[in-house]
Amino acid sequence: MERRELIQWLAATAGLRCLESLAPRDLLALGREVHRCAGAPPGRALDAHALQTVTVAAERIIPATDTPGATEAGVSAFIDKILADWHTPAERDRFLAGLPELDARCRARAGKDFVDCTAADQVAVLTALDDEARATSSGEHWFARLKYLTVYGYCTSEPGMRALGLFPLPWRYDGCAPVTR
Amino acid sequence: MTGGWAAKELTELGLRTLVLEAGRPIVPEQDYVEHKPPWEMPFRGLGDRRAIAARQSVQRSSVSFDELSHVFWTDDVDNPYSTPADRPFYWFRARQVGGKSIIWSRQVYRWSDLDFEANLRDGIAVDWPIRYADIGPWYDHVERFIGVSGQAEGLAHLPDGPFLPPMDLNCVEQHIRQRMQERFGRERIMTIGRVANLTTQHNGRAPCHYCGPCHRGCITRSYFSSVNATLPAARATGRLTLRPFSIVRGLIYDQRKNRITGVRIVDAQTRAEREYTGRIVFLCASALESARILLNSDVGNSSDQVGRNLMDHIKWGGATGQFDGWSDRREIGERPNGIYVPRFRNITARHPDFIRGYGFQGAADRPGWRSALRAPGVGAAFKQRLHDLGPWSMSFWGFGEMLPQADNRATIHPTLVDTWGIPSLHIDCRWGENDLAIHRDMNITAGELLEAAGATNIEHPNGPSTPGGTNHEMGTARMGRDPKTSVLNGWNQSWDVPNLFVTDGAAMTSSGCQNPSLTYMALTARACHHAVDLLNLHEL
Repeated sequence: MERRELIQWLAATAGLRCLESLAPRDLLALGREVHRCAGAPPGRALDAHALQTVTVAAERIIPATDTPGATEAGVSAFIDKILADWHTPAERDRFLAGLPELDARCRARAGKDFVDCTAADQVAVLTALDDEARATSSGEHWFARLKYLTVYGYCTSEPGMRALGLFPLPWRYDGCAPVTR
Repeated sequence: MTGGWAAKELTELGLRTLVLEAGRPIVPEQDYVEHKPPWEMPFRGLGDRRAIAARQSVQRSSVSFDELSHVFWTDDVDNPYSTPADRPFYWFRARQVGGKSIIWSRQVYRWSDLDFEANLRDGIAVDWPIRYADIGPWYDHVERFIGVSGQAEGLAHLPDGPFLPPMDLNCVEQHIRQRMQERFGRERIMTIGRVANLTTQHNGRAPCHYCGPCHRGCITRSYFSSVNATLPAARATGRLTLRPFSIVRGLIYDQRKNRITGVRIVDAQTRAEREYTGRIVFLCASALESARILLNSDVGNSSDQVGRNLMDHIKWGGATGQFDGWSDRREIGERPNGIYVPRFRNITARHPDFIRGYGFQGAADRPGWRSALRAPGVGAAFKQRLHDLGPWSMSFWGFGEMLPQADNRATIHPTLVDTWGIPSLHIDCRWGENDLAIHRDMNITAGELLEAAGATNIEHPNGPSTPGGTNHEMGTARMGRDPKTSVLNGWNQSWDVPNLFVTDGAAMTSSGCQNPSLTYMALTARACHHAVDLLNLHEL
């Protein structure tokens, strides 16, 4: 990435937070800040923290086991894409308004943001939200959307489709094959 | 579909033939995308929702419209039409070389005299000027070329053809076929779909490899389309000229000679106008587009039947039911075909509520990971659920005959024009009482079939469909026996202007309940041979 592109990128979205903290001509500081921000780049609908939150939540929903999990399948980038370019503003806003609930519940539980909690706390928070989302009758709960997009994103990714035996294609038809797994 | 057939037949009969295609050229190696996996699509198959809402708000309702195949459907902003506010009509349109033959569902069923004699028998509309004996050999001709896989069943009202080996029914479909046989005997049978997908090497084209999304193209040419089969055959004669981006503005009519002397086109890209001349003209633009050309040209309509009698097939009646068992069995590969239950109403016994009938298409399958989209839980145990294939379910979807009605009609809109300034259509079409009675009966009998087979949780679709939604629009320049009440004679030839032929769905005098493309193709081939006979006899 060229330096000019980096500045444009920083200026463009959530990077503004970084840019404000810079001494304008301090190239060394610029480099450090860029490096820090680039370590957790923002998405297009999700800022860096929200993207990290979604990444961790998706991995807890579909964890790596003997097959890849949601992180390796790039699920959070898919969710960010759908939020930015596919959902209506109202759908996106409902999701973005709900997501901080993960931090709020983890802080109440363990005094930390969701991404900094233990895996056990994260799973407990997600499980409680899953139960609540399933009990909701008034419209789709934001967590149900997160979970739906996690499953859809995983099952349409290359690692996910390989894990599920959907790729590569069999190049034949058998209408009565045994289930092997 | 029919344009490719006209090109093949006319060139093979020795005529230098110009094909004018409104849309772009298709290069299979670039434009066919059936093997692109979901993760290479920006929206993983969900489609670019905003762009589609802005530009393809009608086309998106077609069953074969998706994130990749949307390029094979027209832009609704460039190609507007209107309907009454309370009577929507879906006009699905495909403008590219190959037209709708790229995105069709490839189901091919012959008609019989049950269909060709129906209007006469019922005193409806006008009588077909042909019978099965007239078209039977042309069904053979077309099926031998395109390749149709299917199972001969020996039904008089759904004649068999020279089929390639049938595709397999899956285990649950085999069970249902067996139970139907026990319960209904020969009255209601289930057979594998008759489909223009190859199951063996055929005329230089490879057999199907079961990848699934045929509507995105087929690089092995395993299903029939104009691009895959008829246009290459026409090109091989050395007598074909194909001009894409050629939108027909109208036919050029010479009143003194009472002949069409040529066609006026506008270039879709440059907007330059051009005229082409020819001895004969075949309109194969699809039922509504051909009617639009005739109406905009003000020719061939002394009967006032052009644009009238618009028909489709009524659908979204039927049932879906669940089957316990076979949980250790699955399908491998994507069969581009389902089952068919041939029409069984009004074959021998008269139904009290309606005339004509319907057939069922459908399939049994398991939902796979999609059944986990709303499943409870998180973590490794939930992840394991993604491997559950879910229960087997079987669907029967009815396709019902629609009666011709003079008031179901397309007319030239007084002010609305397309991007090229060509007057657009106003389409006014609604289901009739008989059509809706057929739709109601689909729900009843599909439920009976599923109950006989032991299904549970039987549900019915929220029909009926929107007219046009089955993509089987037809009837807008019907064939008949009398120039006063029909547009075309028994050879798809204009009564008014003898060197004008219309061989797409516009020519249909009734709609049957079978998927109509095979009949369009057979009528086209037959009309081409007749036209060349007339030319050779100097009668044209």
